[in-house]
Formats: sequence, structure tokens, C-alpha cells
Amino acid sequence: MARRQKAAGAGKRGPPAALLSPPSSEDEADEAPEEVTFGVAREAAETERKLVGEAARRHRELLKEKRRRRQELFTEQKKRKLLPEAVLQELAAAPPVGADGQAAAANQGEGCGGGAAKQRQGQRQVKTDKQRKGARSTGNYTALCLKDQSLTGLHQQLAKDFLNTHLYGPDTNRAQANEFFSLENKKNPVKKAAVQFVDKSWGQEKKQRATRFKKRWLSTQIKNRV
Amino acid sequence: MGEFEVHRVRFFGLVPAGVRCLACQPRGGRLALARTDGAVEVYNFAANYFQEKVIPGHEARSVEALCWAAGDRLFGAGLGGDITEYDLARLCVSRSVDGCGGPIWSMAANGSGTQLAIGCEDGSVKLFQVVPGGIQFERNLDRRKGRILCLSWHPLDTHIAAGSIDALRVFDVHSGQTVQRIMVNYHVQKVKRECIVWSIAFLSSGTVVTSDSFGRVQFWDWERGTLLESHTVSTSAVLSLAVSEKEDSIIVGTSTGATYQFQLLPVKMGSLEKRWVRTKPFQHHTHDVRAVAHSSTALISGGLDAQLVIRPLMEKMQKKGYDAALRKFTFPHRRLVSCARKARLLLFQFSQHLELWRLGSTDETGKDGEVLPLCRMPEHLVQLKSKGPEHIYCSCVSPCGSWVSYSTASRFHLYRVQYEGDGVSIRKVPKVPKLVLPAYQLQFSSDSGSLFVASARGSVHVLQLLEPGGCKHLHTFRPPSGSPEAVYLLASSADGHWLAAVSGDWAIHIYNLKCFKHHCTVPMYGCAVTAVAIHPLTNNLVIAYSDQQLFEFSIPEKQYTAWSRMVQNCGLHKVWLERDSPITHITFNPKNPSHILLHDIYMFCVLDKSLPLPDNSALLMNQSTLKQLPETARQRQLHAFKICKKFQPLLFADLLDENCLVMVERPIMDIKTQLPLPIQQKKFGT
Repeated sequence: MARRQKAAGAGKRGPPAALLSPPSSEDEADEAPEEVTFGVAREAAETERKLVGEAARRHRELLKEKRRRRQELFTEQKKRKLLPEAVLQELAAAPPVGADGQAAAANQGEGCGGGAAKQRQGQRQVKTDKQRKGARSTGNYTALCLKDQSLTGLHQQLAKDFLNTHLYGPDTNRAQANEFFSLENKKNPVKKAAVQFVDKSWGQEKKQRATRFKKRWLSTQIKNRV
Repeated sequence: MGEFEVHRVRFFGLVPAGVRCLACQPRGGRLALARTDGAVEVYNFAANYFQEKVIPGHEARSVEALCWAAGDRLFGAGLGGDITEYDLARLCVSRSVDGCGGPIWSMAANGSGTQLAIGCEDGSVKLFQVVPGGIQFERNLDRRKGRILCLSWHPLDTHIAAGSIDALRVFDVHSGQTVQRIMVNYHVQKVKRECIVWSIAFLSSGTVVTSDSFGRVQFWDWERGTLLESHTVSTSAVLSLAVSEKEDSIIVGTSTGATYQFQLLPVKMGSLEKRWVRTKPFQHHTHDVRAVAHSSTALISGGLDAQLVIRPLMEKMQKKGYDAALRKFTFPHRRLVSCARKARLLLFQFSQHLELWRLGSTDETGKDGEVLPLCRMPEHLVQLKSKGPEHIYCSCVSPCGSWVSYSTASRFHLYRVQYEGDGVSIRKVPKVPKLVLPAYQLQFSSDSGSLFVASARGSVHVLQLLEPGGCKHLHTFRPPSGSPEAVYLLASSADGHWLAAVSGDWAIHIYNLKCFKHHCTVPMYGCAVTAVAIHPLTNNLVIAYSDQQLFEFSIPEKQYTAWSRMVQNCGLHKVWLERDSPITHITFNPKNPSHILLHDIYMFCVLDKSLPLPDNSALLMNQSTLKQLPETARQRQLHAFKICKKFQPLLFADLLDENCLVMVERPIMDIKTQLPLPIQQKKFGT
């Protein structure tokens, strides 16, 4: 009901707004609004409503389309991440004893990624692994589960970062080595120059050219000798 | 003394790791020190502050806290989350227990040494029982948010104070509950960054002392939760804090390298009310002081500039003498350089790799003090990287230069080096005999035909080296009465007849290599041995002790020589006995049998046994005055000690041939430029 009222209001307001000329003179603003018959007004309101309805429907369709496309994209990506169907079935069917062989094959399959050709490749790898597994089971090897280093390493890294930010971070007022050791030179009774450390990057290009020349020269020497 | 051509070597790029933790043994006179690379060292105060034990580090091991418990057991904990116990007899990690709380930031033992409390990353304080076989988890105390950076037990073991970020907490040990929580950053204006409580101490009067990242040392009353006193000592963080046993003196270390002493002094003469007053400032370090300790007579600080500074307190010293001198230790008290005399090669031992260098040569001659131009530069021949995360214990190169070996905690490697013209090829020797690892010292015999491997329990293995590249285990020597400690020094005679081995209990055993039997034991002297060597002609064993005494023991006669008795009767010169660093290498001149060449970090000395000994009234370092005297006057003033202090700090010195010396120096400035950044100091006028 609010919509109809709004549409009606819009309808009533519409035609007068279109007919209204720029308010340049006072007398035009004093004039009474035009008389419009009920029938004309009703038709105008209906067309108005229809237009708005169309616009809303189109908007909704657009959103629906967008949502559908995103959903498809997600399912596509998910499918790409999973192993191809055939490989999954093989893995499910295979016995759980040769777990390492399977894990290795699964990793290989995953590493290959999606794509039909690659799926086939994964399948082939599983097959070959299974064959090899049959031959290998007679050999003696033991599989060890290594201690999970990832979590301790992460904690340790966080701890070290904490220490670094608080000891060497932006607030800590650290000085470069040459500035620090130059203070003595500057405060001495006999003032000396600041300490400046040799930077290995000086004359980089010249050094590179020199090494290249040396290589070329040596090779010509060897050629001549041979 | 003679003229020598000196190869002055400065290309040994040793950068010692910074000192991270210090722990004084409660009643033992030892100091445990942990470095940033995971190495743990033990210094013996009674033996003139000698570094008697070194446990090399590990790439994955970081030590954030070190403590002594149950008498002489040493425990360490670090960011890896494990509590490790160190076996000081076998110089390795004996066992390791996971703390299950993430990285461990702090650890403290209670007063009786029966319990260990650790402060973890996840904010929990865990208690462990110290039992004879190891440690056992007891329980967790109340856990709150915020990593526990420092811990301290109350002397009566009833409460634990823990400092974390922006707050400090006090726990009741019996119930495990948090009984007090005090916010530490309340008084700082314009506070934008967090206040980190870097260290904490609990006094028996109920006062908790904290040091934080705003440069303040604060005294709190934990029961009322109020601040008693606050002292701002620095604009940068105060990183470490230690209280003396009598609780009347505190030492704090800051990020700028300054250390300060606080003392509990009466407000007025004779008044009973006492206050904490900041008394002495010291600036011994250039980089952050991350560890301090307070022994009964000295203030000890260790900084990231790899220096250990021991400052005895004058008021605790009975007399003013050498005991009250400041000690600074930067370099290790053992040899890190081996020299192949005939081949003129040097082997440098780093923590995870070895470098083999060939010395340069010159054709010119010159006068005293001149620098001669090189016709061939020193060459870096081989760099051997040790596989795995463990650091190297010891290394050695044979006198002919064709064998190199080194040992880590679990591996022993032997390499054959071949020189074809200017090129070098190195091959690993396969099928090395299985020995009990690690090897604590390696020494090749003078004919490069055998390798002596120092091992645990006082035993020494003899391996025979076979051409073209193999080795065979010949024999294992063991001391007759057994020994729990490992052998850390070896010396073999030039004729291949005798082998001397020094073990951790300071006993020197001499073995006969021809019939593989124990020959004799040198009489016990109550101090640590720092260097031994056997004279090539007379087979006398020269021993240098950490209190700077020198002895000469005749191996064939099994007694001290006449010269050694004379030295003991007359006594050594006062200036000689007051040297700071131990003698790390003794060598001889084959052309002059009465000469003994020794060096420590600050001097090189040629000891001439044929000349008279100086008495205390004579000048010990008289080389420069002797040069200016005429010949007749010189004869009157000559004495046995010819000391040269031109090359400092000296890591190694050896005689290559009769007039050629090699000196390996490591200037301190070269080390400081490779350390982490220091705090900026604003000085007026710069």
C-alpha cells in the first residue's frame, strides 16, 4: 500500500514537474497547479508503477544472475582442488596397507592440479605406484612419523618477532655502527674523521666488467695454448 | 731473542656470539653463561676465572634462561619450548623435556633447588620437580593471558612473582592462584607503546623489584599492590636485574650497555629506615646488557658485544690487589686455530664451518719494525661446512697439511687434502672407526701418522692414518683410576713416544705410545690447566696453569725439572701473575732448545731458560729499554722473559721455522661492526 501511495504521489507530482518551467518569475509560481482528470492521473500512475516494477524485477534478475555465476565459480574451484573422480575411486578401493605409496601418489596427483589431461596423468601415476608398490612390499623399509615441526617453528618465529620488534623495532632509537663508533673520534681532543665502513657495493659494475674480461682473457689464453 | 719475520694474520673472521644468560652457582664459585648461538660455558672463579667447560651450540637451540638446581645440575630453557639439562662431565645435552607451553621465556629454581618454575608464551607458569633422573611435571599455576617474560621465587618458596606485558602477577605456590595483579604502565604519561617487564626479583621483605622497557626500576609492595619507589635509570629499556644474596645490592643492565648498582642504604647515619639508592654507574659494554648476575663479591654483566665483565666490589675485598681488578673476557680460553708448520697452512675453526688458508710469502728483508711487501697473497684454500645444525667442538690440521679433521656432537669427519700445483682437492675418508662422540680435542702426531682423539671419561683414542686415505683404530688409553670428566687438552711428543692428556678434573696423565701403557701422572695442582706441550728434544712437559704458574715436568724421569723447582722457589714476577688471560698455546724452537714460546691474548713471550729469572723489583716488559742500552749494560739487565705486546688481541701465535712467526690477531673493532645495532647516544657537539 505504501508503494501504491508513493507511486500515486509520484504520478501526481510527475506531470506538474515536467510542465514546470524554471521559476524565473514570481507570477508563474503563484499560479495554481494544472487541472488533471482522474483517468489521466490513474493511467500515469499505472505506467509509473509498471516502470518501477520492471526496474525492480530487472534488478532482482541481475542479482540472481550474479549469485548464480559466483556459485558456479566456487563449485568449479572446489572441483579443481579435489582429485579427479577416477583417482578418488581408486584410492577408496585400494587397501590401506601401502599408506606411504598412496600418500605419495595423492600428493603427486594434487600437485598436478585440475585439467582433464592432468587428471589422466594422475590416474596413470597411481596405477604405476600401485604396481611398484606390489614389488616394493617385499623390500624392508620403515616409515617414520616425524615430529610435527610446523607448530613449534611458528611459535618460535612469533616469539623471535616479538623480541625483535621490542628490542630493534621502530621505537627503539638504534644507531648504525659507523655513527656509534664515530662519536669517539669526534669527541677526542684531536678530532678525527667519522668512521666510514667500506661498502661492498661500491664500484659494482666495474668489478663485474673486470671479472668478465678476466674470464674471456683466460679462455683465449687456453685456446691459444691448446 | 733474535729477528723474526712475522706473518701478521687478520683474516680470521671470528665473531663471538653475544652473552644471553648468566647464572651463579649458589654455593660453588662457578658461573654458567649461555650465548645467543646456544653455546653454554662454565667459568670457575677460584681458578682465576678460567673458562673450564664449553658446550658448543646448536642452530635450533636458543637459550633464554639458565639456572642451577639441586647443587650442580645445570638447566636451560629457550624458545624451542624444551627444558634441557646439560651434562657437564660429558659436555653435551643430557636430556630434554617438552614444556608444553610454547616457547619458554624464563625459568627459575626455588631456594632449595628442588623445583623449577617456567614462564611460557601462552601465559602459564608451570612447576617441575627436580628428581635424580631428570625433571617431572608437577602442575600448572593459574593461567592468564599475556606471555610470562620473567619469573622470581620468594626466598621462602611460598610465592612466585611473574612479569609480563603491562602487568606483573604474584602467584601463591600452594594453591596455584593469582593473588595479586599490578598494572605497571599506570604512571607513564603519553603512553602509546606497551610497557614490557623485562626482569623481576622477589625480596624476602615482600618487595617485588621490576625493570621495564621505559627504563625504570620499580619497587612494589605486592600485598597492597602499591608502588614503593620508582627510579628512572635510562631512556632505553632496562633488560636485566640481579639481586645479591644478602638482598642489600641490586645490579641492573640497560640497553645502552650501561649497568647500575642499587644499594639499600640507611636514610641518615645510624637510622633504621633504609632506602634503595642508585649508587654506581658503569659503562663497560657498547651493546645491550641482556644478562647480569650478582655474586657475593662481584658484579657480573654480559652483553651482546660478547663481553663478560666481572667487576669486584671494593667494599667486599679484603685488600686492594689483583683480586679487585676488573676482568673483561671477549675471546674463548681455548685455541681455535691450528697450524701446519711445514705446509704453512692455518685452519680456522668457526662455529659451523672451517677455513683452510695458505700464508703468503715475501722475498724481501728489512729492519726491525718494517712492513715487507708480499709477493704472494694469502689464499683461502678450502671452506668446509659442517653438515647439520650442530656446532663444531674441535678441529685440527696435520703438520704436513694433508689431513684435516673435526668433530661435532654426533659426527666425526676426517678429510684428506691433496695439493696439485696451485689447486687443492679434498676428499672425505670413508669408514672412520666408530668412537664415542663427541671428540673434545683432536691432535695429529708430528709425523702425521696418527690422530689422537680426546674422548669422555678421560679416555684417548689413537687412530692410525693410512695412505692413500684411510684410518684404523689402534688403541684406547684410559686413566688407571678412571675419571668422570672428559679430556680437553692433548700434547704429543715429536719423537712419537709420549702422549699427555689433561682431563676435566685437572689431572694430567702421560701415556707411552710405543707399548701402549700408562706411564705416569703429573702431581695434582689445585688449578686448571690451560696449555701443555712436550719439548721435542728433552721430552719435558711444559704446563701452564690458569693462575699463570708454569711448570716443567720431565717425562722420562717422572719428576719436575731443576729449572721448574727453581722457578717455584723464586716465584714468578708479580706482573706475570697479574695477567688477565690464560696461556692458550705453548711451542718450542728446535734450533734453540732452551727457548719456550708462549702467548696469551695480550702478549707473546719467548722464555729463555738459560737466562736468570727476574725478581719483583726488575721490570718485566723490558724489551724496549734493552734496545736502547749499550751492549754491556744490556747483559746485566737481561732476564728470561722476553715479552712483546705489539700484537693484540692475539688468538694464536706459532713458530713456522727458525726465523718466521705467525700471529693471528682479531681486532675488537672488526667484531663490533658485525654485531646487532647499538642504541644511539646523543653527545653534545657531535
